[in-house]
Amino acid sequence: MAGTTIVITSGKGGVGKTTSVANLGTALALRGRSVVLIDADIGLRNLDVVMGLENRIVYNLVDIIEGRCRLEQAMIRDRKLNTLFLIPAAQTREKDAVHPEQMKELCEKLEQNFDYILVDCPAGIERGFRNAVAGAQKAIIVTTPEVSAIRDADRVIGLLEAELMKDINLIINRLNHKMVKRGDMMSTEDICSLLAVPLIGVIPESEEVVISTNRGIPLVHDKRSDIANAFKRIASRLEGEEIPIPTEIPGDSGILSKFKKLIWSS
Amino acid sequence: MFDAIRRFFGEKKSGEVAKKRMQIVLLHDRLSISPEVMEEIKNDILRVLSRYMEIDQKSIKVSLEKGDDYAALVSNVHVRRVYRHALSSPENAQKSENSA
Repeated sequence: MAGTTIVITSGKGGVGKTTSVANLGTALALRGRSVVLIDADIGLRNLDVVMGLENRIVYNLVDIIEGRCRLEQAMIRDRKLNTLFLIPAAQTREKDAVHPEQMKELCEKLEQNFDYILVDCPAGIERGFRNAVAGAQKAIIVTTPEVSAIRDADRVIGLLEAELMKDINLIINRLNHKMVKRGDMMSTEDICSLLAVPLIGVIPESEEVVISTNRGIPLVHDKRSDIANAFKRIASRLEGEEIPIPTEIPGDSGILSKFKKLIWSS
Repeated sequence: MFDAIRRFFGEKKSGEVAKKRMQIVLLHDRLSISPEVMEEIKNDILRVLSRYMEIDQKSIKVSLEKGDDYAALVSNVHVRRVYRHALSSPENAQKSENSA
């Protein structure tokens, strides 16, 4: 099997990288794919709590790299999906415990047995970033419609292009359609024209994400959620399906569409 | 209501303002030139200008500056005098440089 390693990165912290990794990974596993999520944020691990797997950690990424355990021992199986695994980050180590070459080796090994390896990249552009990117053939940039996130995203895109990464896609997270309509938020088109990389999905701003993260169950499991469907569509697009992006932008939020939604989801 | 008043006074929507600002900021970020390359540019400018005029080599400043919707490379040099050959034709300037 020749799997694909995808790094999810942003430059700026707090834009939704970890949430995106958890939901995309879950969405791909729901499609029957075998998926490994790697938390590359050594010292600040979080993907485990977002996935609700924090109580099952015995070994971590650094243990694998330093040979203290076998690869399979550090892979935690998801609570619901048996083709989804997490390799957690070490919490008490520093980023330089891992070298980019070692990450690359690990990703190559995993690619032999899994369809997708999703790497949750730490914020910043230093060692942790270089580690996370080292083994990836594709990159997904997560940004929000804010100036600081967009600027950092552009910087990261520049760095990835300098590394000759050709397959770079963009997720716009926390888009507030009302604010865009009002003219008080940059639109999807604005952001795409600024960053000039292909858009793979738009995630509307929502309280649902906070709630699902509180519970440690990725939102994608919730069949009624618009956000879940947006992530599922990104997963489909990753697998080459062509689904137009406008499906992610609700036409109106009037009573009729809310009523329709109620019927559709039941 | 406030929105309407603001627009009446010609205030742009904040989304539009953000977009315009980012266009300029990203332009600059992408143009980020290393100090070494900047030094090379400076030396190249000096070499070219020296063909035509006597300049204060130490006075040269080269920087990237922000325009309304563009980035500009701005260079400032103190000129002491223009060579006589430079006042006539470009070919002459070429010749005198070759002979020098």
